[in-house]
Amino acid sequence: MKKIEVSLDTVREVIEGFYEYKKWHFLTLNGLALAENKMEVQWIFSKYEALEETVVYFAQIAYTDVIPSIVDLIPSAIISQRELVDMFGVQVEGSEKGLYLDEDSLQNPLSGCSL
Amino acid sequence: MFSSFAKAFTNLFKTPQTIDYPLTPIEQEKEHRGLIEYGQEACIYCLKCEKACPPGAILFVPVENPPENEKNKKGLKYHYNPYLCIYCSECVRACPKPDEALWQSNKKSLPATKEDRVNESWFELERLKKQTD
Amino acid sequence: MKQTINIPLGSQHIALLEPVRFKFECENEKIIGVDSDVGFVHRGIERACTTKFKFDSIGYVVARVCGLCAITHSLSYTVAIEKLLGGEISKKAKYLRILLLELDRIHSHMLCLSHTCENAGFEAMFMRIMGDRELVMEIQELLTGNRVQFDYISIGGVNRDLNSTVALKIKENLYEVKQRVLGYMDEFTNNWSLSLKFKGIGALSLDDAYIFNAIGPLARASGLNIDVRNEIDYLPFDEVGFLMQTHSDGDINARNLVRLNEILNSILMCENIINGLPEGEIFTKIKGKPNGEAIVRFEAPRGELMYYVKGNGTAMLDRVRIKTPTFASIPAFSHIFVGQDYADAPAILASFDPCLSCTAK
Ligand code: SF4
Ligand code: SF4
Repeated sequence: MKKIEVSLDTVREVIEGFYEYKKWHFLTLNGLALAENKMEVQWIFSKYEALEETVVYFAQIAYTDVIPSIVDLIPSAIISQRELVDMFGVQVEGSEKGLYLDEDSLQNPLSGCSL
Repeated sequence: MFSSFAKAFTNLFKTPQTIDYPLTPIEQEKEHRGLIEYGQEACIYCLKCEKACPPGAILFVPVENPPENEKNKKGLKYHYNPYLCIYCSECVRACPKPDEALWQSNKKSLPATKEDRVNESWFELERLKKQTD
Repeated sequence: MKQTINIPLGSQHIALLEPVRFKFECENEKIIGVDSDVGFVHRGIERACTTKFKFDSIGYVVARVCGLCAITHSLSYTVAIEKLLGGEISKKAKYLRILLLELDRIHSHMLCLSHTCENAGFEAMFMRIMGDRELVMEIQELLTGNRVQFDYISIGGVNRDLNSTVALKIKENLYEVKQRVLGYMDEFTNNWSLSLKFKGIGALSLDDAYIFNAIGPLARASGLNIDVRNEIDYLPFDEVGFLMQTHSDGDINARNLVRLNEILNSILMCENIINGLPEGEIFTKIKGKPNGEAIVRFEAPRGELMYYVKGNGTAMLDRVRIKTPTFASIPAFSHIFVGQDYADAPAILASFDPCLSCTAK
């Protein structure tokens, strides 16, 4: 597992430069609650037909930040983006709430701060 | 096409795959993972099973007339909730005296009725347990 | 003037086993837009894993994410913890893990095939496959002690050994299943009612499979060489005779054939395992508390399953991320529906083999 830090401003460029759709397989977007109202977002990729090659781009952000969407580069990212919005209560461009959680349910269950 | 007809015809004379319950009893696997059983005399009250159980289906709760056992210093009584148990047998693996104090049978748990007060009585035990911790 | 109508499929529908709702925007018979809602059975398992349970019992918790691929879930989680603790398990335990993994794949694929038949209106075939599936369920119960929730994997190995009578029974039943599956192959390729409903319907091209990151039998039916068993080294799949099964058509029929071929390959692997099971212990004790991050992937019957586990050196974990196969395939599903007839939608959906309790976890 290779971890590469990016910032929210550059992540789109980095992924655009890195992602070749016949070579890399987009696994998912992952979130991770950190201390002090921060969270980590991870974009996880793996290589087709290679043994155990995963690349993780990650950025440490505040809950108030808006995460840029990568749906135009990788269409299948939409579903993980919507999950991230539901689970952590952050904003991702163009991804609305309500994939899993209803309005009257517990909100942002994984964010670790707003229960 | 014709082979389907032939198959349909032969199927008419096959014995059914289902069994004639309750006339034919259901076959019970010998090695089926079923309810956990407890032997009070052999237990050394180490509470390892209680700690190992993922859903918390074993509770040792202090009672007024504790079972006779010289190892039972704190006056605990064993409680087991067959409706919470997932039959994983972690408790048996954790027990220092498997087969004597704690073992897994192949019995299936019976359905409970409202009169059994399965939930309420278990919640009371859990509350008791919390108080003593 | 063009007019479109919205027709929902689900959340309760006779062709569906699990609650999912698709909203199809249709122009006459053709579907031109899809919207999906998958969150009906969300249970918050990821949160429970980090707040309610200690790391050594989570293997049993995540097995409850899904009844059909329970073994893949607990296996992925357990391997992730073993990676973090740095323990090595015995070769025999590895082989037994593959054995159960493949048995699970066989029964899950049979379930999917029977449902595709049901949705094509072929009830008799549905009954036949479901009846034959009992052969596999029976040996699963013999091996693990339960039909559905195996609870077979524990951190450090497996919970039960394989004795010779069970091994014999497994071999007998698998031989029987193999004969039946060869019979289905014939049925699925030559039977009229199945061909009419399946050939050329719901196709996904290879390029689209890449673009939408399709996985599992869905991708392999389009010719995309993605099978996680090929890309991992925690279990020795190459030693037991794993062969990737692909097809080039990408339609429902191709998916069915890929599944049938995979069943045959899995049977072969199981036979190899039983014939060449190494000697040794089935359980090695691994001590410690997990610390650090690990990503583990496994091939579940429906495709790639990913676990991300982060520990902090205590018994409670920081994060357990479960990426399930159906969840990741939803964009591909939606893409396939566009341009198809509404009447075919249930059949196409069944051919994806969707597992919604995995998706919503
Ligand atoms: S079998 Fe598993 S769930 Fe049941 S009491 Fe033992 S540890 Fe608990
Ligand atoms: S682990 Fe065994 S000996 Fe210890 S308390 Fe439980 S039943 Fe008794």
